[in-house]
Amino acid sequence: MTSGRARPPLTAWAFLAPYAVAVGLLIVLPALLNLGYAFTDHTGLTRDPQFVGLANVRRMLSDGFLLDSVQASAIHLALAVPLRLLAAVGLGLLLAAPRPGGRWFRVAVYLPTVVPDVALAVIFLWVLNPLYGPLNQLLGLFGHPGFTWLSDPGTARVAVALMLVFPIGEGFLVVLAARRLLDGRLYEAAALEGCGPFGQLRRLTLPMLAPVLLLLAVRDTILTLQVNFVPAYVLTDGRPANATLYLPVYIFDQAFEFSSFAYGALITSVLMVVTAVVITALLLVVRRWRVLR
Amino acid sequence: MGNRGAIRLESLTRSYGRVVALDDVDLEVRAGEMITLVGPSGSGKSTILRLIAGLDRPDQGRIVVDGQDVVRVPPHRRAVAMVFQDYALYPHLTVLGNLLFGLRVRRVRRAEAERRARAAADRLGIADLLDRYPDQTSGGQRQRIALARALLREPTVYLLDEPLASLDAPLRFATRADLLALHRELGTTTIHVTHDQAEAMTLGDRVAVLDRGRVRQIGPPQQVYDEPADTFVAGFLGSPPMNLVPGGGVLGGAAGLILGVRPEDLALDTDGPIEATVEAAEALGSETILLTRCPDGTRLTVRTGPRPGVRPGEGVRLRPDPGRLHRFDAETGRRR
Repeated sequence: MTSGRARPPLTAWAFLAPYAVAVGLLIVLPALLNLGYAFTDHTGLTRDPQFVGLANVRRMLSDGFLLDSVQASAIHLALAVPLRLLAAVGLGLLLAAPRPGGRWFRVAVYLPTVVPDVALAVIFLWVLNPLYGPLNQLLGLFGHPGFTWLSDPGTARVAVALMLVFPIGEGFLVVLAARRLLDGRLYEAAALEGCGPFGQLRRLTLPMLAPVLLLLAVRDTILTLQVNFVPAYVLTDGRPANATLYLPVYIFDQAFEFSSFAYGALITSVLMVVTAVVITALLLVVRRWRVLR
Repeated sequence: MGNRGAIRLESLTRSYGRVVALDDVDLEVRAGEMITLVGPSGSGKSTILRLIAGLDRPDQGRIVVDGQDVVRVPPHRRAVAMVFQDYALYPHLTVLGNLLFGLRVRRVRRAEAERRARAAADRLGIADLLDRYPDQTSGGQRQRIALARALLREPTVYLLDEPLASLDAPLRFATRADLLALHRELGTTTIHVTHDQAEAMTLGDRVAVLDRGRVRQIGPPQQVYDEPADTFVAGFLGSPPMNLVPGGGVLGGAAGLILGVRPEDLALDTDGPIEATVEAAEALGSETILLTRCPDGTRLTVRTGPRPGVRPGEGVRLRPDPGRLHRFDAETGRRR
């Protein structure tokens, strides 16, 4: 060992080992295998997949369903991420201040996150029912005839996003905690300068929470591209007119229902690329806006 | 500006739950005066600042600024600027951004706001820090930034909440002088809160001593020091505190009274009437503090010159300055 360059001692590696092994076995290895399978004819049923070169890629390039699927995922992302962030940030900021009964409201906001997503989806099947669902009845109070939520492509997309606005507990907690860390005196100083509640939100709270908000946006982008599987599966099964055929749903269909495991593996890689592109774009925009120091 | 900024607090009361922070406080601050509110923590001094600033409302009483009751006036309509103890600089804004904040909120044009901000920065000697963020500046610089921000408010009253508490000792000494100079230059009414009795003595034309939500005494610092109105003030102002002997004891019997004498008014004198044993000697360089105990158990603190030539365990005789004995009522603690 040359002097001057310290190497991490063995104990550090020893402590790291269990986690590293798990990551290697459960994430890195499957990901590499998955990438390999993408260039085979593996059906998921046979044992000896054969290398087929770019055959799956050629199939992908002329796959109209995949186009629908990417579109469905993109629209879902554009709907769900802003709605979920708005809900988490809005409720987090509203409920951060201690006030009587506040804890019950905070519990209420967190509760849907604890509900298993299948159960939440089943509840939403009822909520969205065009005949007796409470949502349409609520609309009826305002004289609106209501929607056939899950039969129309547009409303089906909204419906899934609507359901995913409820399990926002983690983001809500992060905003709540971050807001409570901000120094109350800054707000008093701003109030002395004549800065009202909205001015304080715009000039103090949001800029100071910017790093947290960015983190939440990145995390929610990754999450939103993936967690729509259960609601789509339970509520719409990818229909109507492929409006909710999100990438995870399409991957599942290909890999496990249509015996095109290899093709599913390729689209999984596409999902990863899509995620990476969206997050890169997000970070570029943030850098342009100079939200962070 | 010198004739504006007169403040009168009339029977001001504020409680938080069962804790009475302010109990029927009357206080008059003359226009252009610098007054220091001093007291232990929980004495209500910061509450007074917050009430004058409008960050809090009194349960009862009036706050009259230049003849107008401002209790119902929102903070930003009161012409007050506050410097917070930890300065409350906006961490996400540069120093310039911090200075511009209030001007921009009040919709001053960008160019004009920047001109004023730079002028204020020049005045406080922080012009070369404008592009930094608060966490890239030192404690003393932050204090100047906070002062510059207050300056830009162009207030008729400055409220300073422990402005020196976060500074280290040498800086505190220099900044104290700067604050005084700035006040003389501006001539603006300034209310300054501290728990440090040295600051209370040096900053301010008058000092108000507070305890448990009440004003115990108000007057020029030296006068309050020389003639404390009660045993609390006597014990609070001065370090080490005044020796207080219930019943007079070794200082001369006085039934129903508490006699007090400051450590510097007790002299070592071989013919002195008080016999005592030195328990400890604290050499502070320019002076020595002797902790002594009399045969009857009374402890007396003595301030004497450097190198007094006595060691712990040795006997000494003390002579109190008869003109500087303080007499307090044993029941009420008030001066008699």
